[in-house]
Amino acid sequence: MSAKVFRPDRSYLLRKLHSLSGIVPVGAFLAEHFWSNSTVLVSISKYNETSRELQTIPFRIFAEALMIWLPILYHGCYGIHIWMRGKSNVSDYPWVGNWLYTLQRATGLVAFVYIGWHVYAERFLTHGKSTYGDMERTLQNPYALAFMAVGIVASSFHFGIGIWNFLCKWGLTATVQAQRAAGRLGVLVGLAFSLVGILILVSFRLNWHPFEFYIK
Amino acid sequence: MADKKKVIVRVKRQAGPKQEARWEEFALDWRPSMNVIIALRDIAENPLTRDGQKTTPVSYDSNCLEEICGSCAMVINGKARMACSALIDDLEQPIRIEPLSKFPVVRDLAVDRQFMFESLKRVHAWVPIDGTYDLGEGPRVSPETQEKGYPLSNCITCGSCLEVCPQVNEKNPFIGAAIISQVRLFNMHPTGAMHARERLEALMGPGGIADCANAQNCVQACPKGIPLTESIAEVNRQVWKQALFGWLLG
Ligand code: SF4
Ligand code: FES
Repeated sequence: MSAKVFRPDRSYLLRKLHSLSGIVPVGAFLAEHFWSNSTVLVSISKYNETSRELQTIPFRIFAEALMIWLPILYHGCYGIHIWMRGKSNVSDYPWVGNWLYTLQRATGLVAFVYIGWHVYAERFLTHGKSTYGDMERTLQNPYALAFMAVGIVASSFHFGIGIWNFLCKWGLTATVQAQRAAGRLGVLVGLAFSLVGILILVSFRLNWHPFEFYIK
Repeated sequence: MADKKKVIVRVKRQAGPKQEARWEEFALDWRPSMNVIIALRDIAENPLTRDGQKTTPVSYDSNCLEEICGSCAMVINGKARMACSALIDDLEQPIRIEPLSKFPVVRDLAVDRQFMFESLKRVHAWVPIDGTYDLGEGPRVSPETQEKGYPLSNCITCGSCLEVCPQVNEKNPFIGAAIISQVRLFNMHPTGAMHARERLEALMGPGGIADCANAQNCVQACPKGIPLTESIAEVNRQVWKQALFGWLLG
């Protein structure tokens, strides 16, 4: 029997692109999104100002489509394809890495569904002119509030675990110690993003602006 | 001495590759330092099930009995491990023994690991030394490389790392950690390195290194303690560099 000949094919590229797209631009956008939304912690007017600024960038629709929507769509769809081809066995082998593997798939799906709804509600229903008032109104609905909280935590941890995966899968952390540190970093990012995200929700919901003293 | 201490063992049996699997239970006499292979030998000596039915000896692979040949990997109490080093006294009873699930069953606990050998061929996991003429001496292997390579050379192709990998399944013929680690070994050898590109390109194809999803189960399961996650990271770096710069820089 002779060994089959294997040629490099597109799947390698697509897979690498999936991995990379999770960090840039999708992860980077997540960070930017949390950053600009956290202005609500200062004041309503600062939030509205920041939103206005982002809503009025030149070539907005192209920037959104190319840097946000398409990458998220690709990352999500290809991610589901990857998920379908794996078979979680965390019940047989409950090791930390295996938990993260399983968690990464679950959080990815939740985040993808959530982002779909979030974009529809806050980008399209508001015709791209969402303001503090729109968000406040959305969040009066307890189901929307709960869904947002779940979506934020899922996205945050998906990004955090994604950082650890990325560092390992590109060989940027090659030793066991470095990989352990990468894992800790990932969890830390997940926690930090979740915390900030939840604080933003609380701010909208309770009209609470802890950094208002900056401008008073 | 009153009643002899018994060991209860349940074995998943399968008469042939296409036959239906079934479970059989055995009650064996306990012996000091008994391991799973000894239990299987005791069954072969007296193939009677627990309720006295006559049956056939259980088929299984084993050879060295010291965790060095790699042939006896099985799923014991739900975990992939080497049967020859699985001590009965450390196992909860009834002890469940199943064949590896990621390879086709030949009979009972014997599986066909051809996939791994084909994969080793796929990545050229060797150092070519023969030519049509005398190739002369190769470059020396530095002590540092020897030290790094030695643990990797301990792989016994047992398949445990594939068995525990969620990315290895019927839908996804992922090549697995062992083979990627062998690529690292042969790429670090100064003569082997002359064929590094072929190995890296073989890992870019279907079922190649990109299918690794970093669950890191392999390194937990490997009976030889091979640093598989380090190997995968290292080879990942070599592969994307080859993919990205290979055609640019030659
Ligand atoms: S790397 Fe370890 S688990 Fe995998 S085949 Fe080799 S010895 Fe077995
Ligand atoms: S019999 Fe050789 S490894 Fe178990």
